[in-house]
Order: sequence, then structure tokens, then C-alpha cells
Amino acid sequence: MGSEYTPTILQGQQTSDDEILAKTPLDTKALGGDSSVIIMELLQRFKVRDVMKRQIISIARSATLREAQRLMRENRISGLPVCEEGRLYGIVSVNDIINGLDRGWMSDACEKHMATNLVVLEAGMPLAFALRYFNNYTYGRFPVLDSNRKLVGIVSQRDVMRALLYELSVEIRKLERKTSNNTQERAAGESYFRREWAVVRNDLSRAGHAANDIKSILRERKVDRTVSRRVAVAAYELEINICIHSHGGVLVLLISDETVTITAKDRGPGIPDIEWACRDGTSTANDWIRSMGFGAGMGLSNSKRVADKFDIQSEVGKFTKVTCTFNLKKQQEGAGS
Amino acid sequence: MTIADVVKILDGKLMAGDGTSPRAVGAVVANDLMSDVLLHDADDILLLTSLASDQAIRTAHIVGAMGVVVHNAKPLSETMIKVANDLAIPLVSSPLAKYDACVRLHDAFLAEERG
Repeated sequence: MGSEYTPTILQGQQTSDDEILAKTPLDTKALGGDSSVIIMELLQRFKVRDVMKRQIISIARSATLREAQRLMRENRISGLPVCEEGRLYGIVSVNDIINGLDRGWMSDACEKHMATNLVVLEAGMPLAFALRYFNNYTYGRFPVLDSNRKLVGIVSQRDVMRALLYELSVEIRKLERKTSNNTQERAAGESYFRREWAVVRNDLSRAGHAANDIKSILRERKVDRTVSRRVAVAAYELEINICIHSHGGVLVLLISDETVTITAKDRGPGIPDIEWACRDGTSTANDWIRSMGFGAGMGLSNSKRVADKFDIQSEVGKFTKVTCTFNLKKQQEGAGS
Repeated sequence: MTIADVVKILDGKLMAGDGTSPRAVGAVVANDLMSDVLLHDADDILLLTSLASDQAIRTAHIVGAMGVVVHNAKPLSETMIKVANDLAIPLVSSPLAKYDACVRLHDAFLAEERG
């Protein structure tokens, strides 16, 4: 699971935007309408450091505007960080050069005319933050600082779009594969149905939609009403758990001739004490989660209560995987007796 | 007691879903904690809640509820109304407090029993 979701860090000019666009299928509705979820997940998963340019062309404070102009022309850039030993002092923009030419300042030091009131991004910020900055400010690019306030990169709107387009094409391919493999035949001849939903961290506006889909699928496939309800309850609780407690993950539905299985897999942070977490009323939820009607510490215990078989595995810092299995045959025999 | 009766009894207004559904109320659950609601096994639940969010509707769909009432005339978001329409869950807004709504429904059930 870990390798499947490891972000790809784009370096250099591997693929042009046109190539990526050409490879991206236009009809994402055919993939179950999960594209917006994927974009939101990418915006949270990817950090500024994953898309920024690390090769920084900069200039010293004492260099002249004429030197800055030459560097900008040679490298075809419209903004030049003024930086010494990693410390960012300001930015010289095309506007500063135009003013310099107009008013005869080209022999002045950059530090005299550079912009010093800077808006910067931090390398660890999610891409969603960067997009908000591009919306809120008119700048075409932002300097990126690390946790020690050192300049480590530059990010432009183009860098963000390139990374998103590339990753979207990868994710859409994965979805295409999953869609085509939803129904397969096992070697023994037993048919099964499989579907997977991405669950995004903290996106309570969509949390529950996978469980609602699962309930509808079970109803369409004429699964016993009582079993459908128990499966949906477990799916809902586990989906909410991924949403509010984890870094994001997936919910998987598998229907075979004899069982229905719900598997919830996330990408951490893991549960230090599983026994404690499975007890009724134990929760690490905050007030925000409680205000949405959840967080009473009943998610895992409710899932365990409704399932015929319950399994939980977790590794701190890595993942949690919960599997709930529901017997179909037993229910039908029970109903008939 | 159908959803149309519920609207009348609780001085409510139907905000989403089919107001002419013939489904009768099987049980009333008044709760703001969705994990608690998921514990109920009854059929045709009418959910009374002050949780004016999509999650109230999604929970109602999971337990097969016949309707949701949000009390105290809490403002309902467009997305909540859309989710209710999408999942075909009748959604009612009532100006009554939760306790008063429960009392009125209880009285109405008693009157129904007496014929």
C-alpha cells in the first residue's frame, strides 16, 4: 500500500504539459466521478517541496540592477531572489528593472530597489496552500523557505499545474485499471465484485458517500436487507475513521458468493494501543469532529459489533487496516429456518 | 404516521424528498450522535436531530430511515438538501425544540393507537 501512494517527485523536464494532457483521458465521469476526490487528495498529499524548482538563480545584495537584468535575460526569468548564504533578503522583479532603466538606477545595488515585503511559502505546506496563495496574490511565483527560514526553492503556478497533471494521469490510469477489474472470475469459478473508494483526510463534506454507494450496490445486488445494513454501518464508521483520524486511505468492498468484506486501509498515523481504541467510548477526536456528530469513540466497536469476523492491524507511523467480514450463506440459511 | 403527517404534527416544512411517501414511521430516534443512531436496529426510523449536516442524511440512508427532522428551525445548507434529494430521504425542518417534537409525536402515536 505504501509504495502505491508514495508521491512522485518531479525533477527536471521529464514530460511536457502537452504530452501529459494528451495522455489524460477526458471522460473522468466514466471512472465513477472520483476525479474531484483525487484532486483534493493530491492537493493535501503533495507538499510545496515536491513541485518547487530547487535550482535557484539568485543575486547578491551588492550586485547592480544591470547585473540582475543580465541574469534575468540569460535565464529567461521575471523575478530574481536576492539571497546570500541561503538567507532571502528580497526580490528584483521585471518592474524594478523597468523603473531602473527609466530613472537611471541601473548602476545602483539591488538592495536599494528590491522588494522586501515578501510573501513566501514553506516547503512543508500542502499544495492546497500554494494554490490559495496564487489565488490571493497576483505574484506568478513564490520563494520557498525551509523550517530554518533558508531559501530552498521557487514555485510557480506552472510547477503546480505540471505536477497535478502528471499525477492525475497516473491516478486516472490506476482508476481505469480498477474499473475494468471490478468484476472478475476466480480460478475456482466463483464470481466476485470489487470496488474501491478513496477517502480524503478531513473532508467531512464527502465522508459517508462511499458507505452510501455500498448500501445502494448491496441493494441492487439483492443482498439480504439486514446484512446490507450491517455492512453499511461498518463501512460508514470505518470511512469516517479514515477521514477524521488518518492521513487518508481507501475503503474496499468485496462481494463473493459467500461473504461481503469491507476493508479500510489508511496511510497512518497508526494506533498505539488497539485494545484501547476498540473499547466503547474511547476516542482521540476533537470538538470539530464531535460537532459533526462523530468522535464518541464508537467507530471501531460499532464495526466489530455488526461484523461476523473483525480483524485489525496497525503499525504506528505507517498504517491501520481494518477488515470486517459478513457471511451471506449463514444469513440466508438463518432466514429460512 | 407518514412523513406528511410528521410535517403537520411538528409544524414543519418539507425541504427535500418525497412528501407523499406512504412509508409509515416504525420508530423515532432523537439523537445528535450519529454513531448512536447507527446502533439502532429498528426499521423505518424517523430521525430527529439538531445536526444540520450531510452526515445526518447519510446516516439516515445507512439505517434505512424513512425521514429526518431537524428541529429548532436550524438553517439547512444547500448541500444537505441536495444529499437528501439524491438519497431520496425526506427532510423536514421544524421550529420545535427536540423535547417538544418528541412529546407531540408521542401524543400523536397514542391518539393513533386509540383510533
